[in-house]
Amino acid sequence: MTETTQDRAGIGRRGALSLATLAAPLAAPRLSRAQAPVAITVHYAQPFIFKESYDAIAAEFAKREPDIRIEWVTTPNYEEGMQLVLRQAATNQLPDLSYQGFNRLRLFAERGIAQDLTPFLRREGDPAALGYTPTLLALAHFGGFQSGLAYAASNPICYSNADLVRRAGGNPDAMPTDWAGHIDLSRRIKALGDGVEGMHFRWAGDDWMFSALLFGHGGRMLTEDERDVGFAGREGLESLRLIDRMVREGGMPNLSIQAAQQAFAAGKLGLLYWTTAVVRGTVGQVGRNFDLRTGPMPVIDAANGRLPTGGAAGMLTTRDPARREAAWKFLRFSTSAEGTSLMAKNTGYVPMNQIAIDDSRHLAEFYRENPLFTAATKQVPLMIPWYAFPGANSVRVTQAMVDNIARVVESRATPEQVLPEMAAEVRRLLPRRAT
Amino acid sequence: MGDAGRPLARDLARLLVLGLLGLLVLAPYIWMVAASLKPLDEIFRASLSLLPERFAASENYGKVLARVPVGQYLWNGLVVCGGILFFQLLFAVPAGYALAKLRFPGRGWAFGAVVLGLLVPPYVPALPLYVAFSQVGLLNTYAALIAPFTISVFAVFLFRQFFKALPDELLHAARLDGMGEWSIVWRVVLPNALPAATAFGIFSVVAHWNDLFWPLIVVQGHARATPALGVLFFRSEEAGDDFGAMMAAAVLMTLPLVLAFLLAQRRFVEGIATTGLKG
Amino acid sequence: MTAPAALAYLLMLLLPTLASLLLAFTDYELGAAEIAWVGLGNFEAMAADRGFRNSAGNTLLYVGVVAPLSVLGGLGLALLVGAGARGRAFFRAVFFLPVVSLTVAMAAAWQYLLHPTIGPVNSALRALGSGAPFWLSSSDTVLLSLAAIGVWESVGFNMVLFMAGLASIPRELYAAAAVDGARGPFDRFRLVTWPLLGPTTLFVVVLSMVRSLRVFDTVAVLTQGGPNKASEVLLYTMYTEGFTFLRLGYSAAITLVFLAAVLLLMWVQTRVLDRRVHYG
Repeated sequence: MTETTQDRAGIGRRGALSLATLAAPLAAPRLSRAQAPVAITVHYAQPFIFKESYDAIAAEFAKREPDIRIEWVTTPNYEEGMQLVLRQAATNQLPDLSYQGFNRLRLFAERGIAQDLTPFLRREGDPAALGYTPTLLALAHFGGFQSGLAYAASNPICYSNADLVRRAGGNPDAMPTDWAGHIDLSRRIKALGDGVEGMHFRWAGDDWMFSALLFGHGGRMLTEDERDVGFAGREGLESLRLIDRMVREGGMPNLSIQAAQQAFAAGKLGLLYWTTAVVRGTVGQVGRNFDLRTGPMPVIDAANGRLPTGGAAGMLTTRDPARREAAWKFLRFSTSAEGTSLMAKNTGYVPMNQIAIDDSRHLAEFYRENPLFTAATKQVPLMIPWYAFPGANSVRVTQAMVDNIARVVESRATPEQVLPEMAAEVRRLLPRRAT
Repeated sequence: MGDAGRPLARDLARLLVLGLLGLLVLAPYIWMVAASLKPLDEIFRASLSLLPERFAASENYGKVLARVPVGQYLWNGLVVCGGILFFQLLFAVPAGYALAKLRFPGRGWAFGAVVLGLLVPPYVPALPLYVAFSQVGLLNTYAALIAPFTISVFAVFLFRQFFKALPDELLHAARLDGMGEWSIVWRVVLPNALPAATAFGIFSVVAHWNDLFWPLIVVQGHARATPALGVLFFRSEEAGDDFGAMMAAAVLMTLPLVLAFLLAQRRFVEGIATTGLKG
Repeated sequence: MTAPAALAYLLMLLLPTLASLLLAFTDYELGAAEIAWVGLGNFEAMAADRGFRNSAGNTLLYVGVVAPLSVLGGLGLALLVGAGARGRAFFRAVFFLPVVSLTVAMAAAWQYLLHPTIGPVNSALRALGSGAPFWLSSSDTVLLSLAAIGVWESVGFNMVLFMAGLASIPRELYAAAAVDGARGPFDRFRLVTWPLLGPTTLFVVVLSMVRSLRVFDTVAVLTQGGPNKASEVLLYTMYTEGFTFLRLGYSAAITLVFLAAVLLLMWVQTRVLDRRVHYG
């Protein structure tokens, strides 16, 4: 307040002094605030799994960055989330930050919607030292650049009904480590009768679980240059044969995954092979019906075998500098050791920061109290990106694969018949030139 | 058919058959309500037990009420369905009247257009409409939820059938009294059309209360969400649905509709009966 | 008089539909930067696509099961419920309830009821000694299961329409028929009820066929067209091509063919049936 203003306002000296005293504390904090308040829009999918985690992270974030206000947008699932962003890209209303399923990121990278996060990361120092190991970064690296940062990951695990395992002569504390052992166990569980089924391996919906077998054999979906199919060889055939054996020897019934999960919760299914993302839901559905265990997937190729990674990564879309800066801060925090620990505690997905995984301060106690959640974390070294097919037909390709696998599951065709046809269909859907 | 006073003994067979069929038809509903009262670990059991061992109604319904502002959703449902119905009647009554009673060039073509409109699936106009609303900045508003449905070709069709049965003398008398065409519509025709309007009202409200497709693309967040979206909140492909909460949400979102129908049933059937289905 | 309706029709229905259908001649994809005119390219792809023919076949089969069953079922229920005053309002409400339901919620219920191993339907079948099919997950029975659910959803709707039609038949005609020697309910039905129900029946048949042609919700929620496209129907193909695979141009082409086919069907049907309907 200048003297002239005071004079003009007709405030006497005493009045001006008291006003100045009042004004002083107001002026002081303003000096330390380097930025104006920013509002950003953040989108994520599957609120009923992730809402608590985002709320917890946002609460912590607000303590550190009180000037950044977040508006949330949610979609029921990843597919809706992808459509939302594509629609809004067409009408210029993108959310500033969007958490998309891993295998959708590629599309956004190719369409120029996702931005390269490497410069942002480098600004803060060495990524590995911050907990972003090359393995973790690779999960969201598409289109030739770092198109996102992994936020939550899941991998396939084995859920077992320890009571049924024991009745079938197995030992739930020392489960077999290979598929031959699991299939045999399944056969014995089914032989218990009374409507009990042995196993279910979720093969429908998308190619994720099939790729678990394929990668487990050390195979790949497409060749390095992505011009041709990579699963038409030995690894693909062995994977299909394995599914065939699950049906014929293990007695795998033709159930939808929801039906299988429900049968499992009812105590009528011995072994269920699915994502760790459902561990919370499964614990809830099983309750005290039986003794539930989780364990790693059977190992196929100890040296070259890998597992696919499901889950979501945060993608920066806004180009406005102020909002981009704010959105980056939130993304960075949500994937930091602290943020990802909050996520893991609230959802059971695998945390996406190496420090959170290694440093016992963060999650050791949580995992001690929730042993069922640890099966997935033990498989972290085996995680490779969920394969995203190039080109416009990427989603169609996964559908073609699922349809063909259905033929094997329903025993309408042998693996030897299905594999070349599956390869041919996928080839037809690949782009003419590699993207 | 339909005479009251048949002795109970002879009626018993009929009532038994109806009762059995009714049970079959209600089975999914019964299960839905039962599931909404059970904790997750009891919902999927091999034995068919309707009563929960552990009463989890407060858990499930509590979850729904905590995560989803049910009141807001139901209110939005009311506003949107009410708004849609209002405009549908506003447009369809005069149009139906014109097609039934007035002669004008192109009347045949207009009627053909109406029938054609009945066949177009909702997904077809969806995307261009979405882009258009987005350009004028009307996404995520009541307007976006109401506008596309203001034209109901089914309503036009229904009213045309009904008005055909209206005696012409009534209209002649009104015209002799010096009433203009618009007055005739609102002061003579509409009062006679109330039964048909009620019948149509029920069709319309039921269809739009449960509509998922359009609200899913134009609405974000809770402010303008409709009841159907409330149920979808608990679906998750990746981590398995939360069945207990989802069924509780379904019960909460469908209940108003069911109650409204129960109260209005009589009027509804009367309305259908008088829509001149005789031709 | 028709101006407001015509305007709304134009803006909300006709123009967007035309815009969508124009896409049928392009290769537009959601979110793509460019759009190119491909003429009849999409239609050629459709003709060659085994999936499209499969989809059309499944839809026809579905309509062939659901439409007649829901019409006959509706008529049967209307006759039963309307036959006496006892419980009329109650049963009318009970059978109409499925029409009011939200498919997403009902899906979970149906999925459990038809569960191959823990569901009550199969438990009952096993108790009776017969086989227990994998209703929704086997390609042999999936379309039939969906059709059963489709009948469940629409039979109440048709029942109410028929009840109204029945209620508008003048009582004197039955007395007159009795005088003319009509004995028993079958004669009464054949001589009076059925002919006078003509216009209602036509209305219900047309409506049932249109509604069952537009089946989508149950497929989207319960089977997603599977297994291996055994339950893929036209509208679902249209939707997935456009919104999941993002090929909006191709999707629009399928829509165009769908509309043309249905139009033809409606025209043929109305001409054929209209002649045989007795307008009182």
